[in-house]
Amino acid sequence: MFYKLFQIQNPKGVMGINRRNLELVYRHNHRKHYRLADDKVLTKQLLEAHKIATATTYAVIRKTGNIKRKWEQCKQYDAVAIKPANGCGGDGIKILKKDSEGNFRSGGRVWTDTEVYKHITSIVSGFFSMNSLDSCLIEKCIVPHPFFAEIYNAGVPDFRVITLKGTPIMAMLRMPTSESDGKANLHQKGVGIGIHMGKGVLTQVYDGKRYTHHHPDNPNPVYGKEIPYWEEILTLSEKTAEIFPLDYLGIDIVIDEAEGPQIMEVNVRPGLGIQLVNRCGLQQSINENLITSNLLS
Amino acid sequence: MKKNRLQIALTIAALIIGAFSISKAISLSETRMDFNGESLFTVTNKYYYKTQENGAKIKWFIPQSNNRQQISKAALPKTMNTTASREPFNDNVLGEWLTSESNTYGELEHSFTFTGKSKHYALPKQFDTAPATYHQFLVATDFVQVHHPRIAQLAKDLTQEASNDKTKLEKMYAYVANIPTAPIRTRTDAVSVLDRKSASCNGKSRLFLALTRNLGMPSRLKGGIVLENTSKRTSHVWVEVFINGQWVPFDTTNNHFAYLPAHYLEIYQGDEALLSRSTDMEFDYTYDIQEESTVQFMGMAFQNVEDATPFSLVPLVKHKLISEKNLFLLLMLPLGGFFVAFLRNVVGLRTFGVFLPVLIAFSLFETGYGLGLLLFLFLIFLVGAVSRPFQSIGLLHTPKLVISLSVMVVIMLLGSYLGWATQTPWLSALTFFPIIILTISAEKFSNLIVEDGFGKASGILFQTLIAVSFCYLILSVKSLGAVLMLFPEVILFIILGSILLGRYVGFRWTELIRFKPLLDFKTI
Repeated sequence: MFYKLFQIQNPKGVMGINRRNLELVYRHNHRKHYRLADDKVLTKQLLEAHKIATATTYAVIRKTGNIKRKWEQCKQYDAVAIKPANGCGGDGIKILKKDSEGNFRSGGRVWTDTEVYKHITSIVSGFFSMNSLDSCLIEKCIVPHPFFAEIYNAGVPDFRVITLKGTPIMAMLRMPTSESDGKANLHQKGVGIGIHMGKGVLTQVYDGKRYTHHHPDNPNPVYGKEIPYWEEILTLSEKTAEIFPLDYLGIDIVIDEAEGPQIMEVNVRPGLGIQLVNRCGLQQSINENLITSNLLS
Repeated sequence: MKKNRLQIALTIAALIIGAFSISKAISLSETRMDFNGESLFTVTNKYYYKTQENGAKIKWFIPQSNNRQQISKAALPKTMNTTASREPFNDNVLGEWLTSESNTYGELEHSFTFTGKSKHYALPKQFDTAPATYHQFLVATDFVQVHHPRIAQLAKDLTQEASNDKTKLEKMYAYVANIPTAPIRTRTDAVSVLDRKSASCNGKSRLFLALTRNLGMPSRLKGGIVLENTSKRTSHVWVEVFINGQWVPFDTTNNHFAYLPAHYLEIYQGDEALLSRSTDMEFDYTYDIQEESTVQFMGMAFQNVEDATPFSLVPLVKHKLISEKNLFLLLMLPLGGFFVAFLRNVVGLRTFGVFLPVLIAFSLFETGYGLGLLLFLFLIFLVGAVSRPFQSIGLLHTPKLVISLSVMVVIMLLGSYLGWATQTPWLSALTFFPIIILTISAEKFSNLIVEDGFGKASGILFQTLIAVSFCYLILSVKSLGAVLMLFPEVILFIILGSILLGRYVGFRWTELIRFKPLLDFKTI
């Protein structure tokens, strides 16, 4: 009634939060399976069990008593990422890389074993998860594919692919900016770059206000730029969607220089900003990609 | 298919509840009182007697409805005759009970329901000369010695400096009202009051009567009962002065100047006895008075709600299981929550907590709107600022929350103490706020500043304030409490409404702004 009153047309089939929650999240994702996506350790176990590419797990630490022993095992690697299994917004993630003398460094300084223990202890005791306890995940540190550096050479960029009933329906590339503190999230001043699903090329860049054809910190045009491993990314998304008992997913993928596309995270409530980035509503994408099925009956 | 079935079920439920409410409203409207009474009493006069050889006769005045009191459900003894007074300007109705039975014990009962309003009268400076027909209210009697030299002298002394009639009346009133009141049961005349250091209501009233009549102001005695939730035997007398076309009440005993309280039952006019009987008969009496609760709603008052419908919450209040205020707060929670849900899911406001805005709105009633909002902001900022150092030393979430809670409690207690010590009322108002929910909000607010920056955090705080104001507006609707009390099934409507709201898949209004680049606006 309200819409008739104000004559608001929605030709692009944009979905609001209410419709997303009722028709996508609640209908397709059973709450008891949320854990599989929310807990990165569970996500990785499921991925690894089905041999789906994801950063190699070096260690999972659940008890403070195991920290020392497990960290000793990890010290053989050149670069590791330490993450809370239930963290949010990138809090508590530390990247440690060995320098020429074999010391782990982060943020431009050497990290002693004691400092590492302390950080893992705070993760395990739930400091970053708002829960009483958490697990700590130590995994191989991804080396971003040179493709990303051509657009912007800093932070951790990733692809977000939305799947519904196993079919990728929309995707975007999220890039950090000089203002986003290394993070690629749209609401943390990162930018989103639209993706043409069929062609596997980048389209417009959206910074939350304006559309352009280049990254805000780099004048080189990205519109029409071909995405490496696009077919693999799609296949990886489909396979991932298949093994999770959740039918509506936001899958985060990075491209490792050596290993190719890797699954980083799976979200049960992917944001709606992707519609703005692609200048296309989710409903329209669903209609175009799932014409034959009667999903939304 | 599934959706249709739900719609049908919801419609049927709404119709049933609606029909129920309407039928209830109809039966309630029958108990509606014609005017908006402030106090409601049931009065039972009981008379105990033993007749003599030649039977017995008992007479008493029967109270009538007028523009400030309503008498309903009157039940007189069956064999009683009532006669309206034949005198002009006298509306008294006298009940007379006669029996010829000799030497029998018996009991008579006269019960009725009283609804009363308080009434103030504005007095002009100068009074018009009363019409000749009112001269009967100026005459002297044995007990009201209007022209006695001492009365005349007193009236002169009291009023010689007064420049107008109103001041004269005030001077005389003040003099009589200042005479100490004593529980003297005998009939006292005006002049003898001057000799005593104290007097009863009838003595003081007769003195005031004599003084006013001496100055040519028509006045009369008025008899009745001051209703209280008790059994009593004392009746009461006060004075009415005829001023510019109307009788204005003055009670020099209980100090009501041109005012009659809502619980005064008016029974008769003139220097009469409320109750009279055959001499020498054994006789006793009592007035059993019970205060009844009234429900005010849309400028109407309802009585006997329990008789009209068993489905209301009036008995809970009547039997003091819960105070009216607490019941109102309890009932307003779902309603307020529903509106907050609307603001969040349809308008798209982001608020701290779901029920926080409702609870803060409640607090605003204690503190006042503007002051309350300022205090709310003050608490949020202060607790956020004081807890900040504890956040940076790295603590687990729950213990950190306990620290914030402790800080909040300390601030509230300190504020109350300082408010008392420095006579600053607004500081002592701090304790009206819901501590725990406020603490969690302060915590969320300071977290949000860290995560999303001060601008965004303040934005959400501002939206919370909008929701609070909205809830406050709804809570301010005067008759809402009565509606919820009389129609508690409104809660079921809230459930139905919430089901509809819970299935709303349209845009939130704020999303219209967010997705503006993709939408097509054709505003007319």
